[in-house]
Amino acid sequence: MTDNTDNFAALMKRSINGEQRAYAELLQETSRILRPFLAKRLSLTNEVDDLLQEILISIHKARHTYDGNRPYKPWVFAIAQFRLSDYLRAHYSDQLRQAVEISEVENNLPENVTETTLSYESISGEIQKLPQKQAMILQLMHQEGYTAKEVAEKMGMNESAVKVAAHRAYKILRNKLEK
Amino acid sequence: MADIEELINKLAQDTAAVKPAPHPFMLSAKWMLAAAAYLVVSLMLTGTRPDLMSKLSDPWFIAEMAALVGIFFATSLSAALLSFPDMHQMRRAAFAPVVSFALFVLVILLAWQADSPPAPLPRHSFQCTSMISLFSVLPAIWIVMQMRKFASTHYQWAGSIALLFAFSTGAIWLRLNEVNDSITHVIEWHYLPMIAVGLGGMWLGKRALKW
Repeated sequence: MTDNTDNFAALMKRSINGEQRAYAELLQETSRILRPFLAKRLSLTNEVDDLLQEILISIHKARHTYDGNRPYKPWVFAIAQFRLSDYLRAHYSDQLRQAVEISEVENNLPENVTETTLSYESISGEIQKLPQKQAMILQLMHQEGYTAKEVAEKMGMNESAVKVAAHRAYKILRNKLEK
Repeated sequence: MADIEELINKLAQDTAAVKPAPHPFMLSAKWMLAAAAYLVVSLMLTGTRPDLMSKLSDPWFIAEMAALVGIFFATSLSAALLSFPDMHQMRRAAFAPVVSFALFVLVILLAWQADSPPAPLPRHSFQCTSMISLFSVLPAIWIVMQMRKFASTHYQWAGSIALLFAFSTGAIWLRLNEVNDSITHVIEWHYLPMIAVGLGGMWLGKRALKW
């Protein structure tokens, strides 16, 4: 099949009438034109695949809003753009949620960033003296490299509770180490 | 890729004949007819203002009502277009409310300037906003429910236009029902709340029209 818009419109008309083969062909051709569009805007292949699936489902849900009497591509790209924006919005807001305010951690940053004298191992004795939950959180975050979100999932807590507990632990440790 | 093939096969197997959505002009006409019927029935129940016949010879009143009806038409058309993912490829027509609101503001400003000496302010104030809002609840629910049957890709904008359509129905009703000649009052309590309604519609659209 060529990229001819009329072909898409004709396939869609047949699909609306319930022709399954025409519909499968239409969705295949649609995914063929959408893949490069998404690949240009997303870096990971699995992201492209995930979003492409979402878009195909959206096309399926909204197919009654296309009557076959107007060009098909603007309709399909409107849906694709809509889902892409939704995806990017969710993606970036998730990144923002995971980001830690610099003010939350600035007190815990080593003063000399090129010469770190403190490591988890060097103060593990002090960490073990912390309440069990705080010690566990620090171990997971600093020894095993989990993010606050992953620690929250592991320990059945919410993410902000993990951050608060970690923050309190840092405070206790700082006071102890300053002494 | 295999997942995509699998999904396509599944969707194709699930598909059955569907009835295409009506043309947006038909949708818009249907929504306007329904709102007009609601308006007429409401006016029959609540009555029209006693001085309506004399007001119909007042050019500023006529201009105001015509501009308001323009908003009613434009918002209905725009809401219908916004119900389609691609605005039925009539993007410019979807912006019709911008023109109608601009005309409306112009008419209102001219009517306000022409109101000299100013007509006395009525005793009531926010009651008008409340009445219009109450009147608009049914058309608002109805149009949002109708729009949910489609697939808007501009849900905030669609929600805003839908509520403005409902509110314009209420505003027409109150102007035909209430004896009030103060344009200052009308601007303040009938029309300025439209800004809040538009913003509220964006909020509603995000919740009710997302799919």
